[in-house]
Amino acid sequence: MEPLTGMGVLALMGAAATIAGASEDLESDVGSQSNPNSQVQLAPQMMYPHRIHSKAVSGEPPSNALMCAIGGTTASVLITTGASAALALAIGAIVAAAIHGTYSATAYMGRSASQKRFKQPVYLDVMRSHIPVIMGYAFITTFCILVVSYLMATVLAHPFPLPLLAFIWGITVGAIGSSTGDVHYGAERQFQNVEYGSGLNAANSGNIVRKAESGLRNGIDNSWFCAKFGGPVTGLAFGMTVFLSGWITTVFDATKGDAIGWVSVIAGIIIVLILILWNRNMEVAARAAYGTYKEDEAEAEVAA
Amino acid sequence: MSAGGSGAAAEAIPQNNIIAFGVAGGLIGIYAAYFLVDMVGQYMSFIGALGAICGMIWGAAAVRRVASYGLGTGVPSIGMLALGMGVLAATFGLAVGGVAGPVIALITAAIIGLMVGVLANKVLKMGIPIMEVSMTEIATAGTITIIGLAISMTGTFDFPVILSQVITTGYIAVIFIAGGLAILHPFNANLGPDEAQDRTLICGLEKGAIAMIIAGIVATVNEGASGALTILIGLALWYIGFSGYYDRVKRDAYAVVGSGLLPSKEELE
Amino acid sequence: MIDVAGILMQNILYVILITLGGVLISWSVHFVPVGGAPAAMAQATGIGTGTVQLAAGAGLTGLVTAGAMMQITNNAALVIASGAAGAMIMIAVTMIVGTWVYIYGVGCPPASAKVKYDPITKDRQDLYVSQGTEGHGLPTVSYVSGVIGGALGGIGGSVVYYSLMSVTNQLALADLVGMASVFAVGIFFVNAVIPSYNIGGTIEGFHDPKFKRFPKAVVASLVATLFCALISVLAIGGL
Repeated sequence: MEPLTGMGVLALMGAAATIAGASEDLESDVGSQSNPNSQVQLAPQMMYPHRIHSKAVSGEPPSNALMCAIGGTTASVLITTGASAALALAIGAIVAAAIHGTYSATAYMGRSASQKRFKQPVYLDVMRSHIPVIMGYAFITTFCILVVSYLMATVLAHPFPLPLLAFIWGITVGAIGSSTGDVHYGAERQFQNVEYGSGLNAANSGNIVRKAESGLRNGIDNSWFCAKFGGPVTGLAFGMTVFLSGWITTVFDATKGDAIGWVSVIAGIIIVLILILWNRNMEVAARAAYGTYKEDEAEAEVAA
Repeated sequence: MSAGGSGAAAEAIPQNNIIAFGVAGGLIGIYAAYFLVDMVGQYMSFIGALGAICGMIWGAAAVRRVASYGLGTGVPSIGMLALGMGVLAATFGLAVGGVAGPVIALITAAIIGLMVGVLANKVLKMGIPIMEVSMTEIATAGTITIIGLAISMTGTFDFPVILSQVITTGYIAVIFIAGGLAILHPFNANLGPDEAQDRTLICGLEKGAIAMIIAGIVATVNEGASGALTILIGLALWYIGFSGYYDRVKRDAYAVVGSGLLPSKEELE
Repeated sequence: MIDVAGILMQNILYVILITLGGVLISWSVHFVPVGGAPAAMAQATGIGTGTVQLAAGAGLTGLVTAGAMMQITNNAALVIASGAAGAMIMIAVTMIVGTWVYIYGVGCPPASAKVKYDPITKDRQDLYVSQGTEGHGLPTVSYVSGVIGGALGGIGGSVVYYSLMSVTNQLALADLVGMASVFAVGIFFVNAVIPSYNIGGTIEGFHDPKFKRFPKAVVASLVATLFCALISVLAIGGL
């Protein structure tokens, strides 16, 4: 393949992946999924019933893998029958979003019903307003992942079939989303009632913010907040993963010989080393800027 | 998401009945689909998915039992383990077994599951009394799910057909994850102190029906199987499952309200 | 019926390699700093997600890279190194963005609660742990540990995939790729779940006292993967 074509495809894949990552994170914030949802789940037990959707489908990786695999399967079936790729990917994403909607509904109703003794009601209007939003984000995520997988399978001639690639990228986007953007929702948005700049004190567990700028807070309010930081950085994380892991093999094309293949591995290692240094740099800067939480007891004694 | 409490879950339907339902229903579904497709016509392929649904409900019941003890990590891990073991056993069984393939696959799955269960208790010291039995059940249920869905996609479990139409095309990935979610989602979705067995299991039926619909979509492009009937029956089962689930939610929940404020302080006391 | 002994004798090397790959995956999971649910609330050091899922995300990204490389070269070392590079990039990127969120979104510096001084940078840790938490974010030692975990997981996954692809067989290439990828994913999930039950939720990396538990998971994985390796070699070799 022409190097320029390769770079173009890679850029397109990176862009699609960035959108997929951002919408994945916002989808999990609207529905409240994965690890931060443990606080939503805990709240009624601590006498804080709420009107936040609880999308306990499963962890984010399996639920995104499900969406993407369903989308990839439907698209692959349609392509086999002769449909155009763009149409097939779109219809695949619609089917996936619809099925994800049913999963969200059973999860919300089930978790709330299992908290009868804590008097957490099932609010039907929460479902009616949240599930279409969840499905919308799910459509965007699935469609973009399918674009990435389709480009890999056809243009870059990856040996894995479309549904399997979609499945694997679904697992990866879910793993990245629950590792990055979710922290913004779990550690900051849910606990805006405590001072900024620390982790959640275990004593505050379950005491999530339940009131919004207007009325009672719901998942859509949460996505408004997370769209300012958590969502976009999740997009960057997934986009970077797809782009960088493809970049090293596209620029240093191993088809021209094993030696260049080794250069691509070395390039990958250099990227990782740079990231380690960057992390260290941020660690030092943050410690200098924020300072310590408590005084050093030994030093305090010496001073006294 | 760490989940689960500690101790055995209350059961209205004894687990042994569910095991019998899963194994017998699963094998009958798989073999009935295999022979009836040959004898009656390709549209009988939907029976395989019915067998798979028996497997998924059984798997959901087994996950519910073992996860009630608290795994130290999320419920989803065990569903992924089930299908990881299941996909190995199913592919092996069908590849070497010929017409006895499904039975060999089940036996292989039972061995892997038992082994992982024994390792979990003896080596990892998880200390869950039913771990060995549950792992065996979960691996076997995962295998039934995979074979059942594969047969409803292709109309047969002859390995060359499965290989070219399910594995090489990558549809195995959707079987893996749709089956896995049907096994792990019901308990995960209904987790809580007031969880009820029948509500969890009917959720398994509903999710199983979704997997059946997807198998039907794939079957439309395979000559040996018929998709239309599979999709229609899947939709009907989904409707039964979802409305049954909603009825049980209304029965079990503190309140099901169209809209409203939070419960008042007096109410909470 | 297939010639069991013959196939096994012919491919004994690959059975061993697959088992080794599974053990590597199992060991690698102990390196990945995962804080589980508490980390998502900045309540524990590590990445805010579950062990299995993160290991699977990194390992499968490595598998995708290794699969692409396997297409164009027969050099085993290169395939395996590419898998490791893919997995390392995935996990390094995830952790760096995690650090952005902890520092700029939540406003807390990375700190470990398990050790007083970071073994790599010798920085003081306990003063930076906010009240009522078990640490938060990714201090350098956890970050490096995570990268090592990603590399080992990628190597393990690629070894499994490479070995499955190399088993003597009469399959067409596309069919072989299908079989090998399915078995590799299955073996990967089994070996990602076993260590997560060993860890039981959270681990900070190789400096965490829980890391010393890894021999138990390695033994469990060795036994389980050996069996999986036998059946997958028999299945592929018999065709």
